[in-house]
This record gives sequence, C-alpha cells and structure tokens, in this order.
Amino acid sequence: MPVIELDQLRRTYRSGGGIRRRSGREIEAVRGLDLTVERGELFGLLGPNGAGKTTTIKMLITLLLPTSGTARVLGHDVVKDVREVRRRVGYVFGGDRGLYERLSGLDNLRYFAELYAVSPRTQRARIAELIELVGLTGRENERVEGYSRGMRQRLHIARGLLHKPDVLFLDEPSIGIDPVGARELRRTVATLRDQGTTIMLTTHYMFEADELCDRIAVIAHGELVALGTPAELKAMVRGGSVLEVEVFGASDTAIDTVRAVAGIRSVGLEERGQAQLLVAQLDPGVDVTAAVLGALGDTPTGRVTSREPSLEDAYVQLVGATT
Amino acid sequence: MITSARVFFVGGLTSYRALFTWLSPWILIPTFIVTPLFQVLFFAYIGRDAGVADDRFFVIGNAVQYVAIPCLFAMGNTIGNERRQQTLGLLLVTPARRIPLFLGRSLPVIANGVAVSVVALVAGAALLRVHVALATVPPLLLCVVVASFSCTGLGLVTAALALRVRETAVLVNIVFGILLIFCGVNVPLASLPGWMRSVAGWLPLTHSIAAGRRASVGAGFSALGGDLGREALLGLGFVVLGLLLLAYFERESRQRATLEVF
Amino acid sequence: MKTLRLLAVTWWLQVKIRSRSAFDGLLSLLWPLFFATTIFLLYRAGHQAPGALLSAAVGASAMGIWSATSTTASAALQNERQQGTLELLVAAPTPLPLLFVPITLSMATVGVYSLITTLLWGRFVFGISLHVHAPLLFALSVLVIVVGIGMFGFLLAVASVRYRSSWALGAGIELPVWFICGFLIPLSQLPGWVRPISWLLAPTWGMTAVRHSALGGSVAPALLACLGLTAAYAVIGTLVTGRIVDAARTRATLALT
Repeated sequence: MPVIELDQLRRTYRSGGGIRRRSGREIEAVRGLDLTVERGELFGLLGPNGAGKTTTIKMLITLLLPTSGTARVLGHDVVKDVREVRRRVGYVFGGDRGLYERLSGLDNLRYFAELYAVSPRTQRARIAELIELVGLTGRENERVEGYSRGMRQRLHIARGLLHKPDVLFLDEPSIGIDPVGARELRRTVATLRDQGTTIMLTTHYMFEADELCDRIAVIAHGELVALGTPAELKAMVRGGSVLEVEVFGASDTAIDTVRAVAGIRSVGLEERGQAQLLVAQLDPGVDVTAAVLGALGDTPTGRVTSREPSLEDAYVQLVGATT
Repeated sequence: MITSARVFFVGGLTSYRALFTWLSPWILIPTFIVTPLFQVLFFAYIGRDAGVADDRFFVIGNAVQYVAIPCLFAMGNTIGNERRQQTLGLLLVTPARRIPLFLGRSLPVIANGVAVSVVALVAGAALLRVHVALATVPPLLLCVVVASFSCTGLGLVTAALALRVRETAVLVNIVFGILLIFCGVNVPLASLPGWMRSVAGWLPLTHSIAAGRRASVGAGFSALGGDLGREALLGLGFVVLGLLLLAYFERESRQRATLEVF
Repeated sequence: MKTLRLLAVTWWLQVKIRSRSAFDGLLSLLWPLFFATTIFLLYRAGHQAPGALLSAAVGASAMGIWSATSTTASAALQNERQQGTLELLVAAPTPLPLLFVPITLSMATVGVYSLITTLLWGRFVFGISLHVHAPLLFALSVLVIVVGIGMFGFLLAVASVRYRSSWALGAGIELPVWFICGFLIPLSQLPGWVRPISWLLAPTWGMTAVRHSALGGSVAPALLACLGLTAAYAVIGTLVTGRIVDAARTRATLALT
C-alpha cells in the first residue's frame, strides 16, 4: 500500500480574502495532483516558487483543507482521519520561525514531546538521542533566541523526529544554511531514509534533489509536469550534451551568431561576476565546439566545458515549457 | 509669518494622518471610549466606598487625566515617525521653524486629547447622574484644552526619552501612572503628603483638574485664570525641555555615530 | 493522567517563557501598583473602617492577576502565529484547547508575582496589616481565581483571534473587568445593570472567595461558582477553537505566509 496517495488533489485560494471582502481573484495553487509515494522512498517535490509545493505538503499534514480531491497518508484520509495522520507524520520547515525563542532547545523539545504524547519514560532518552543526532550536544540548554539559522534548522529536525514518525515532510530544509551544515543535513536525511522513514522533500536546490531523492515530481503552476527518478528526468532533456563557454563581454551579435550554428538547440547567457557563461544545448551526437568558438570571433573566452545534461537543465526545460 | 502658520497647521496634520493607523474602531473604541469611562466609574465607586469627595470630583479628575493617553502616545508616535522617516534631524536643524513646527505637530494631538476627555466627561456624568450646567461648559472646556496642551508638552519630553530608551509604551504607561497618583485625580491634594503635593505642582494636569472642578460648580474664566495660566506655562516649559532633550540626544547620537540615525 | 501531565508540563514551560522578559515584567508589576497606590491613598484619606484597607489590599493585588492576563491573552494566538508556532500546535495530534489553556493559564500564574508585590507594597509602604482570616482558604481562593482568570483568558484568546489589533480589545476590558467583577467594590454596591454581567464572569466569584477568606465570610459557594463558570468557559472555548481552526484551515490563515 502506498504511504502517500494524492488523487486529483486541488486547492484554490481566494486572493484578497478577509473578513469583509468577498470578491477577489481565485488562485488555483494545486490543480488536480495525482501522486503516490511508496514506503521507504525519499520523494522530492521540485518546482519554482508558487508552484504549489508547500500547499501540497500542508494539505498532507492536515494544516490546509483541500478544495477537492483526496489525499491519504498511511491509509488515513487527511480530512477525515486528521488525528491519525498527525500522530504519524513529522513536519520540518526551513527558516527562523517555529520555535519558542525564550526557551532552551531542550525545553522546546520537551514541549513538543508532550504535544506528540511521547511517553515520559522514553522522553529523556529520545530527546538526548536526537540532540546528538542533529549535532546540538552542548548547546541544548541555551535559549533558542541565540541560535544560528543552522542550529534552528537542526532543532527543527529533532523536533520533527521526536515521535518516530513513519513519514517525514521536509519543506525546504536547507534554505539559508551554510554548505557544511547543509551537507550534514543531507547525510542525516539519507540516514533516516535508510532506516525506513518515508520522506517527502521539497527543495530548490537541484543537486540536493539529485543526490538524495529516489524519485522526483516536478511541479509547476500547481500541476505535475514530470515524474521519475533523477536519471529518468535527465534523460527527458531532449537533446545531447551541453556546451559551456566562459566569455568576457560577449556582444549580442556574437550570441546571435552562435545561435545560428548548426546543431545548437538553444543558447543561454548567465552572469558569473566578471565573466559570463554561455550555455548551449546541443542536438544529440554533435560536436560544435570549434564552430561555436569561431562564431564568437574576437570575444575573449575562457574555459570550455562539455557535459551531460544535469537535473537543473532538465528542470529548466520542463518548467520552462509550461510558461 | 504665513509660512510659519502653514507649517504649523499643514505639517501637523500630515504627520498626524500617518500615525493614524489606529483609526480602526477596534482600537479607538476600547482605548478612547471604554477604558476612560470605566476609569471614571471604577474610581467614583471606590470614592463612594471610601467616603471621599463626591462623584463629580472623580468624573472630572479621571476624565481630564485620561488626556494623558492620547497626548503622550500620539506625541510619542509622531516623533517616532519623524525619526523613522529620518526627517527629525531636519526639523531640529531649522531653528526659525522649530517652534511652529512642533506646536503644529501638537495641534491634532491636543484635539485628540480634548475629544477623549469630553467623551469621558459626558458619558461619566450621564451614568453617574452628575449634573453639568450648560453655563459651566465653556470654562470647563478651556480647562480641558489647557490640560491637553500641557500634557502634550510632557508628551514631547516623554517622546524624547523614549527615542533614547527605545521603550515608548512602557515609558508612557509609567508617566500615566505617576499622573494618576500625584495630580489630585482621585486623591484630593489636601490628603496627600507634603512632598507629593510639591511634586504635583510641577506636573501637568494638577492645576487644570483643580480649575476644572471649580469650573463645573460655576467658577468663571477670571477665577480660573491663575491655575490655567500656571498650567499653560508648565506646558510651554515642557515643550522647551522636550525640544532641548531632542536636540541633545540628536547631537549625542551623531557623536556616538550610532547606527540609529536621528 | 496523560492529559494532566500534558497540561502541567506545557503550563510550566509557558510560565518559563513569560517569566523571562525583563521589560514586560517591570511594567506588569508597576502598572497595578499605580492603581493600588491610588486606592490605598484614597482609603487612607477616607474610611478607616475595619477591614477596609485589607479589603482594598487583596482587591488591588488580585487586579494584578487580571492585568497580567487581559492584554496578553487577547493577543496570544496572534503571537503564536507570528512566532510560527501556531501551525505546529495545530499539526500536533493533541486537541488544541489542551494546548491553548496552559498558555493563558501561565499568564494568570505570572500575575501572582504582581499579587505578592502589591500585598507587600501595601504592607511595607502603607502599613496595612495582612492578617487574613483564613490563610489556607485564602491560598486556595487565589489558586481558584488564577484558574478562573486563566480560563477567561482562554475564551478571550479564541474570541479575538480574527482581529488584527486584538491587543486593544484585551486592553480595553482591563478596567471594565476590575469594575464589573467587583475587585474593589462588593457587588451589592455596584449599579443594578452591572450585576447580571458580573454573575456570569468567573473572576467575580473568585474575587468574592478571596475577599471572604481574607475578611471572613462564606468561601465555598463562591469557589464553586467560580469553578463552575470556569468549566463552562472551557466547554465554550473548546467549541470556538474547533470552529476557528477549521476556518483557518479552509482560508489558510494559520501561518503568516
């Protein structure tokens, strides 16, 4: 039985709503989403801002009521069996908020442990174990108001795991965290999955999704755009390899000339500080390096790399196609 | 002259409008109508129980004292807004306009205080069946206006301190409490220990409340002149003190090169 | 049993939170003291009736419990929302009223600091003899009024959740409750139109119990009335909580974003 099932899940917001205002635009945040997540999967939700990722997660953890459609977590309906769902899921979100600032990290965990009915006998051991797991040992008695963003994030994870949930929802957990911290976080998440927890993760960071997720759903404008393993998604990028050329001050004419080279599908220019990066998507099986460099003419160039399409390329192409 | 008058009126109104986010009835009614009315009732009944003075005493005392809330808070907010918009320094720099500017800022504040006081007076007198003769209204109103002006002056001082200490609400509430105890609002001045009476003489409201009580039983403008004159002078003194404090804190903050630019 | 432990632990942690703000603490002690001082001066100037000063002292000190609750309770849920914790409370499997009540109860509990301070102020500055008639019953009555005010605060919290400036509502009923619930003035002396409202408010009966235990008089009926009303508030508050959370889940207003 799938752990998470979405069946035509829909959520509409009325913007400009309030106590008095009736009229206002209707925004369909989630439009008929169908998904299933199997036990032990680390499932990723990828999509641009406003795609409906957070809305979907909030519906699954019963914080939002769907407008229509159904969703089940561990067989329990998120609208009818609210208590059962809440007992078995954990929710971790990124950012600074969501903790009691004037309490210590330890007291915050005690508080939530009570909320999740963690039995008094096991509470102390469990909290200690989790503090160690997330690397907050020695800092747990300090007030949260003094914690860095990374520490708060780690405390959130500890909080989400207090009651040993079967399903863990992580909403952009590494936002604003330094690379080292984020790497440790990813390791923790992977360990959890290895231990059997089903995890649904939303993230902006492609490499994170690529590294961690068993399967990824790409969502844009509330709809499912693509679904598959990272490898499958990369294969969806129509085309061959990607040519990247570092350029310094490429003119528009030069770019247009490059675009005209046979075998090139699309050309993009990214700013990278002093330099720019020319990214060219190629047709399968062509090698146009020489032609491109020729087309650039006098424009100073730096490194030239040729690589396979990444998840980011896939994402850009998939999401871009819907705009 | 005309420029100053314009600065006086227009400047005052525009800055005041900005601060009137509390124009919502959900804030106005509890803060400016319900609380002062119940302050009147609360103390009037205590006075009855304790056998001190009469209902009239408490109606006037508390209704006038309550101007402190709009006057102190509004002045605090006005100055705070100036500071936030970073125009406060500019205001302090133009000495020729300084007085009219600040007096202009205070006009809506004074009006606010008077309005609140009048509502409390009318409602309190009605509920407690205290008779207010029509002839006593003009002198009584004058007392309220002068009280409001004087309290606004204190509001400027408080605002200057609050900018430095950064805790407006706490300061205003403390000043409110001090006024409540000292100024003969509920406890007759004669019953206060000597030192408290001396302090009261230097605080706003003491003189205008005393005048107001006399006005309500028929004293005319001439009889009230002494007290009201003293009150007005005190108010002016507070305005000057407030401006001096603001200028001092501004200079100090520039010297200390604090990030909170004046 | 589990529920009791939950209530106790969450209440205790909330008390910790509230006890740790220096500035709020200062004002919450000073504010009732201003009124207490005025009241003591008044009674000293007037009646020296036996028990008048003691009655004023216990009344004025209990006022502090209400002050500590009124404004903060009305803004309690807005506060949780801004902190980002409201969502997490809703997402938990524990019924929400069990989580909200300790919040307002902790506010009333912290009001006991004010009660003690005011009593000491009366004793050492005004020389009011604090010799209460029935000390144990007095302590019990204080406990009961704290619970009553805490539960009244819970009602206030859930009733004002929709209003952005809910703090103003709480601040606005601070003095009315002092008056209507007879903190200083026995009900018999209040105007007739007020009394039916007074009877429906738990703090009224809590205050009666406190006063009677200090000065003499029957305490049990007042205690029972206070507890009975407290229970009724719990029921009403629970019903309202269910409605507001369902509404919030529909309109997506549990979080700020």
